Amino acid sequence: MSESNKRKTWQHPWSYREGTIITVTMIVLGFALQIASGGTSFRLAGFPWNLISGVIFLAFLVLLFLFQKKHAVTKWLGGVKAALPAIFGFTFLVLLMGFVKQDVQSKNMLVELLGLNHLVKTWPFILINFYLLVLLGLVTLKRLTPFNLKNFGFFLNHFGLFLVLFSTALGSSDVKTLNMDCYEDQTEWRGREANGTVVELPVAIKLLNFTIEEFRPKLTIIDNKTGKIVIENSRQKFELLDRDAFDLFQYHLEVDTFYASSGRVEENYYPVNEPGSSPSARIKVTNLMDQSVSHGWVCSGSYAMQPEALKINENHSLIMLPAEPKKFSSEVSIVTKDGKSQTALIEVNKPFRINGWTIYQLGYNTKMGRWSDLSVLQLVRDPWLPAVYTGIFLMMAGAIFLFIFGKPKSGGTEHVA
Amino acid sequence: MWLNFPVFASVAILLWMAATGLFLFSASKILNRLAAGLSVSGTLVLLVFVIMLWQAIDRPPMRTLGETRLWYAIFLSGIGLASYFRWKYKWLVCYSLTLAMMFLSVNLNHPETYDKTLMPALQSPWFVPHVIVYIFAYALLGASSLVAIRNIFVKSSGKTTSEPIHMADNLVYLGFSFLTLGLLFGALWAKEAWGHYWTWDPKETWAFITWMFYLIYIHYRFRNPLAHNKAMMILAAAFVILLICWFGVNYLPSAQNSIHVYTE
Repeated sequence: MSESNKRKTWQHPWSYREGTIITVTMIVLGFALQIASGGTSFRLAGFPWNLISGVIFLAFLVLLFLFQKKHAVTKWLGGVKAALPAIFGFTFLVLLMGFVKQDVQSKNMLVELLGLNHLVKTWPFILINFYLLVLLGLVTLKRLTPFNLKNFGFFLNHFGLFLVLFSTALGSSDVKTLNMDCYEDQTEWRGREANGTVVELPVAIKLLNFTIEEFRPKLTIIDNKTGKIVIENSRQKFELLDRDAFDLFQYHLEVDTFYASSGRVEENYYPVNEPGSSPSARIKVTNLMDQSVSHGWVCSGSYAMQPEALKINENHSLIMLPAEPKKFSSEVSIVTKDGKSQTALIEVNKPFRINGWTIYQLGYNTKMGRWSDLSVLQLVRDPWLPAVYTGIFLMMAGAIFLFIFGKPKSGGTEHVA
Repeated sequence: MWLNFPVFASVAILLWMAATGLFLFSASKILNRLAAGLSVSGTLVLLVFVIMLWQAIDRPPMRTLGETRLWYAIFLSGIGLASYFRWKYKWLVCYSLTLAMMFLSVNLNHPETYDKTLMPALQSPWFVPHVIVYIFAYALLGASSLVAIRNIFVKSSGKTTSEPIHMADNLVYLGFSFLTLGLLFGALWAKEAWGHYWTWDPKETWAFITWMFYLIYIHYRFRNPLAHNKAMMILAAAFVILLICWFGVNYLPSAQNSIHVYTE
């Protein structure tokens, strides 16, 4: 740093100081623009304008590199002394995102004005992203010429990141995400955008069957007066009803009968399988303190049935919690505009792809639980995804490179930084 | 299964304590070997516990904070040992074992829930590699920060050598490669599960910040190879961010309702 103190600012070769000034200026300018634009969300133009501007940007980078390679500024832009302040600047913005809740309205005027609650769609974020892309692009070109196999790991990491940032930024406006409410035995072709706009889609989906597999329900003990769970700071707040006998709090439970799906007739439960039926169990509870025994039914209830608790004594009751979903899936028949028709099973983590659309299982009517006749599907289209994935795979290869070869030996490639 | 945890954890802690003591006070080669053997056994005891737990709960034991602490203790002790075999630094293995013991003690004092349910979004082949790679990265980077913190304090007592920083570099490069893989596995998984590879969910945001901090360290080291102390400071700060990402996010108001928050 001592040599740069003697050097005047903006006198070549530039150092961290100029990098910091440029980065800070970008951020300040970005926030100023954000305020000037009235705090609106920034949205890049969609196809084909994003593609055209992307090509122009790449051409600009290559030309800058080809004709101004030796210029002191170009050299500096491709080096760590420009990169580090830029990374710091970007980290600063992401840190703001880490503390301010995103995508919700804020009561704080300043947050709204600066766009801190939707930071990725604000001017400072776009500007820093752009700046980072220039730096990453230039440094990649710099290391590529002359070509040296030693720089392969470097290329994978930097170009991979470049490709990911470049295609996510440009592609963001081409991403379509639509939710579709499908009711059993009905055909649907309209989707809802996040803002509520209804759009007609080139695919029609008929929900043939929606199924939920549930875990066994959990049991716990509550206080009769407060209704709160009495077990605190213990490793067992709940017990899954998947065994015949177990201890819970100060009680020993033995399961007489368990019905995954049942209905109540007078004082008893019977296995039935019709909409609204619910899990129930007849349980023998022994108080381990005084060996007193109580016997009875517990039921978690459903949208159509009252839950039932088993009162053990003056203080405590045993209750059954609603079963948690283990797996939910939709069997659908899909017809596209070009006449393709096929059936598919869509579940969480197992989306289905057709004609550039990916269909995800999103949700269902949680009030009705496993009797829901509604399945909410999400249709996503992201034409830039192959570019993003190429970037991700390059970065993965780069990470493996780092793992195998580690830190570049000093003196190896350092002269080019 | 967690009911047996105190037994396994106590055995592991005793073995590691004995190992640390031997490492610190022994000079002979045989005793050092014995110490290494004891610490290996401690790690194996925990590994056996994790495998049994995995079988008992029918799901990968990677969903709760306590479960991740368990993995961390295993990896950290393993990394400490590996670096001992590689570089013969006794102090690093002692620090790693101490830190691993600390994590186990936290688990002993914070009884774990014994919850077998696993939400559908987490039922994916990506779950195990994503979490394991991440915790392994955390353990490597944790070890690198131990090197850094030691160096910051020991340095004041005099001579600087370049050995510690090289070790920190090695650990960071290894850790960073795993961190990158974990992050990217997460992105690929997110695309399969939620339709988008990156949604700036609070955990993602903090994971990205963590990644950026180590990126800063790597670039700074590259350009300013002689400024050891500043580099060590960056490394120490990066670990603070890492801890926020791992535990702190659970308590941040900005992260309520995040899918990534480990259950307590």
